[in-house]
Amino acid sequence: MSTLYERLGGEKAVDAAVDIFYRRVLADGRIARFFDTVDMERQAAKQKAFLTMVFGGPANYTGKDMREGHKHLVEKGLNDSHVDAVLENLATTLRQLNVGEAEVKEVVTLANSVRDDVLNR
Amino acid sequence: MSLLSYGDRPVEIAEGETVLSALLRAGIKAPHGCRAGVCQGCVQRALQGEPPAQAQEGLSDAQKAQGFFLACICAPKSPLILAPIESSSPRLDAIVRSMDLLAPDIMRLRIEPEAAFPYRAGQFLELVASEDLKRCYSLASHPEEDPFLEMHIRLHPDGRMSRHLSQNLSPGDRIEIAGPEGNCFYEGVEPDQPLVLIGAGTGLAPLWGVLRDALRRGHRGPIRLYHGARDRESAYHAEEMEVLARARENFAYRPCVRDTAAAHGGDVAATALADEQASLAHAAFFLCGGEKLVARLKRELFLGGAKLKHIRADVFTQAV
Repeated sequence: MSTLYERLGGEKAVDAAVDIFYRRVLADGRIARFFDTVDMERQAAKQKAFLTMVFGGPANYTGKDMREGHKHLVEKGLNDSHVDAVLENLATTLRQLNVGEAEVKEVVTLANSVRDDVLNR
Repeated sequence: MSLLSYGDRPVEIAEGETVLSALLRAGIKAPHGCRAGVCQGCVQRALQGEPPAQAQEGLSDAQKAQGFFLACICAPKSPLILAPIESSSPRLDAIVRSMDLLAPDIMRLRIEPEAAFPYRAGQFLELVASEDLKRCYSLASHPEEDPFLEMHIRLHPDGRMSRHLSQNLSPGDRIEIAGPEGNCFYEGVEPDQPLVLIGAGTGLAPLWGVLRDALRRGHRGPIRLYHGARDRESAYHAEEMEVLARARENFAYRPCVRDTAAAHGGDVAATALADEQASLAHAAFFLCGGEKLVARLKRELFLGGAKLKHIRADVFTQAV
């Protein structure tokens, strides 16, 4: 049985998704400010790591990393509604890439599993 | 010899251990993220030695050419000497050959290094006047076409370096340089891809180098250069550009002076964004200028559909 990451197409699929996903997030007025850094390459690299993780690919993130990485954003008001918006953009990105509904659901479930860590609670 | 060194400092590394883990164990602050070769948060640069090819997967061609690799998935088989982050490159002496004005406030400085100084057209170097007076300048010269290194220097009335250069330096004098650095060069561009060069002020310098390099390497796709300048006089090199545009069918030159009443008036970012709408998804972009301009262009181009890996940028910061 192949893993979700393999079924989605591995690193190639992540590469295809990262530009679309990051572009959607930057254009989304609800959450753009959390992603708005001058250094777009660094930000895109973080998006790529995130997508790899939620695709079920190789990533060694721990709950602690997720907490520390988002602490400053929680202080700026990051809450459940913003996580919802990210998940929505994630699902739309995958559908745009013709990923089947079953896989979209799996990816979103994986992404949703780090919600509490991201929101530091 | 140790298998791994961080600059002059030997770093202990076990067989099969990754560079990242060895650096962290030695107490070196090495940035990192996923630890799986994906996020590219851990890039290091080898000054000497060949990183294994798989540790360079996913990096840009410009990065590979300069020895960058992913520390978290690199278990070196042969000795690697890393460039310590934030440390300066080795220095060498250069002799000033000429200094002249391209515009009332832009000086062209040509120097000849006393030893080999390999670089790619579009990269930048650091001029070192003294330990507390160092500045980076982009190169307008081409390594195979020019026997000198050429920089275009904006003369700020309050700029310490530009004042030092224009007041204390004359042809024949010696100045220290370090480098080269920068990713803004013609690498990983398809020969048929539209090539869009956008710069403001002395941001023209690296673009001039990239433009000549592209033509030299046989770039076949259309090349469009947008140059933003305060006024007609500051749109320096306009004549050379116009001559080149007439001689080369695939090259177009578009000066944008801020005085909108003048011929070729307009904001360079707005002009380029409007004209390039149709090419966003497939063109390669080179952006050189102030932080605001580059950040705005990068964002707008990306949101409009340009691929992030097709946008190369050099930000000019102003230090006084």
